[in-house]
Amino acid sequence: MVNRQMKTTFTVALTAAMALSVAACGNSNDNSKNNAAASTAPDSTNSGTATNTTKSDKKVTITFQNIYPDPTTPSYKMVHELKDQYEKEHPNVKIELDTLNTDQQKVKLKTQAASKEVPDITIVNPAAQMKPFVDAGLFAPLNDMLDQNGLKDTYQSGLLDYYSFNGNVYALPDGNNIEVVYYNKDLFAKAGIAKTPTTFEEMLKDVKILKDKGITPLAIGEKDSWTGSFLFMNILLRTNGGPGFLQDVMDGKKTFEDPAFVEAVDAFQQLVQAGAFPDGATSIDANAGGNIFKSGKAAMWVIGSWETGAVDASSVAGKVGAFQFPTVNGKGDPNQFMLAPGSAFAISANSEHLQETKDFLNFFASNLPKKQFELKNAVGLGQKVDGDLKAAGYSDLAITIAGLFNQVKGGDLSFDNTMNPATSQVHLSSIQNLFVQKMDSAAVAKEHQTAFEANK
Amino acid sequence: MKVLKVPARTIAVFVLPCLFLYVCLVFIPILVSLYTGLLKWDGLTSATFVGFGNFKNMFFNDPVFWPSVRRTLLYAVASMLEIPLCLGMAILLNRYVKRGNTLVSIYFTPVILSVVIIGQLWKTIYNPASMGGMLNGVLISLGLNSWTHNWLTEPKIAMFALYLVSLWQFFGYHLLIQYTGVQNIPDELYEAAKIDGADGFKADRYITLPLIVPIFKISIVLAFIGSLQAFDLVMVMTAGGPAHATDVISTHMYNSSFMSLKYGYGSAIASFLVVVCLVFTGFINTIFNRIERKFN
Repeated sequence: MVNRQMKTTFTVALTAAMALSVAACGNSNDNSKNNAAASTAPDSTNSGTATNTTKSDKKVTITFQNIYPDPTTPSYKMVHELKDQYEKEHPNVKIELDTLNTDQQKVKLKTQAASKEVPDITIVNPAAQMKPFVDAGLFAPLNDMLDQNGLKDTYQSGLLDYYSFNGNVYALPDGNNIEVVYYNKDLFAKAGIAKTPTTFEEMLKDVKILKDKGITPLAIGEKDSWTGSFLFMNILLRTNGGPGFLQDVMDGKKTFEDPAFVEAVDAFQQLVQAGAFPDGATSIDANAGGNIFKSGKAAMWVIGSWETGAVDASSVAGKVGAFQFPTVNGKGDPNQFMLAPGSAFAISANSEHLQETKDFLNFFASNLPKKQFELKNAVGLGQKVDGDLKAAGYSDLAITIAGLFNQVKGGDLSFDNTMNPATSQVHLSSIQNLFVQKMDSAAVAKEHQTAFEANK
Repeated sequence: MKVLKVPARTIAVFVLPCLFLYVCLVFIPILVSLYTGLLKWDGLTSATFVGFGNFKNMFFNDPVFWPSVRRTLLYAVASMLEIPLCLGMAILLNRYVKRGNTLVSIYFTPVILSVVIIGQLWKTIYNPASMGGMLNGVLISLGLNSWTHNWLTEPKIAMFALYLVSLWQFFGYHLLIQYTGVQNIPDELYEAAKIDGADGFKADRYITLPLIVPIFKISIVLAFIGSLQAFDLVMVMTAGGPAHATDVISTHMYNSSFMSLKYGYGSAIASFLVVVCLVFTGFINTIFNRIERKFN
């Protein structure tokens, strides 16, 4: 009898233990303390700079979380070369790279943030996505470091505003990009398409032609659901006749049930129904999705201009052109773009080597433009760089994209950079759903509105 | 306890460190989790107390919650239905195969592979034919074109595709447990039964099955708890997508906590998961105690 009882107890205990290994997210945090730390942070760091500028030889390891995992891309080379160079010049400093895919990094950072263990340098996205972290006092203000050697002036005017809160800059962007449509000229020629589409109707027609020829019309990796949303938002930018839709929703001037939004969902569903995307798109991650285009299997790819260098380094280099996202139902201005101020480097406020980390990031950000320029990845840089693209041997694609930059007449930030995380998640999965089943567009709009109101 | 003839102090020395760790790592976090379940908290900034608001939302307003519970329980049922199959296989192996150990070891291989590898492997198998998916490729070469599917991206099928992978992976695990159990039944019993005229199936019915019940229960409980926690495989293969079609309780909890930054709400889901685990384990225990008593 005792035996049985003990067995039962054991089983129950085991169950609890195992359930907990899933449920282990209990993390009691003294928030008031953290907030207090946040408000005093600027002062302490300023005084820190004053006393701490003497170079010490103490061994320091700086953890650098980054999102450049693909060794074939210029960004990967840029990070590694700058890291090596810095380590050579500062033998006491070791930079430890923590390299992840974009979506994985986002999750990892949130997990780390919940236990206040942010890596020395991490990557955040601008505006709404980084706000919760800043509010929680997790990042160190970088004003002193930006002013130290004129680093601040290298950034395009206004760019740092996306990363500034209460007059402090909290992160330094790796670029400033726009959303464009890359297309494979060879595949277009093979399908007999003479000119790039300027209206959504033409685009749909081209999609059907390409599909009939057995070519995947649009590459996408929708397991990482931001990709579909980024494309969708470009359609919304057109149907809304200009930027500011989400801002209007937040200001209470519009709702998601506005005709512009419903029309955008309709248009997006037309693309899906026309078979524009690869089979099983929702199980393909973003990198693999990009490779469909970069390996010459898809004709178009709607993505940020940050991919220019990677496209030029891939097997379709030289065959790729780019054009603006077309107008939708005659609405919108092609010169308005989805704007993508880059992922940005932020420093943990609790870093054990705050000064050393700031010094490294200062070096990194100061040398990034030059290095990117050398690596033929200077398109979409957020910083000014000396040098002429053409003279430096940049591809026609890079020069085309640089030309598009000059035409930018405003635009919108992506959904998750504008809205709070909870609403964004509903949006992302709602758009992902459109890839796998036909929905009533009004219902999609209603789902958005409900989520927005529930998570205000 | 008296049987041991050891002073209580000695017992305490051996038991307390473990008990202490257990309380710290298991019970306290559960309590903390229950408490955070009562907060509206993003995990970063300060929290507000909302009482049972999260639970109310979870039960009545969350369109993802109940379907994910249903999928989790279905997962558990599917895993538990696998056990009788393993038992049958174990009995057959024990009777007809000379070196059953080798076969059992081979069946066991998927268990030692990392879930990430299994996930990637099956993702490739399930891929659309245009991307070289093996399953669809085989179906097409058999002329069964109408049977091909996007196994992981059609909302109605995706979850079953995941169940299958999990069943495949853990088949060898439960087979090993059952096989060991069957082997441990003394041969004398079968010999005696043979003299009495009970052989083959009849011997299984009256000897193997009653004696295997405790081992069977272990497998059932492990399968049940394992599938309630199912997380890694789902994350690797579909991440709960497309559009929550393969979300289980644990992935929903994870997405709420870390993607939507609703930490309090995620904790509420976690608390629910703990309660479900405890209730069902108690339930399974009761049933098996009845069965054992019946056979005794």
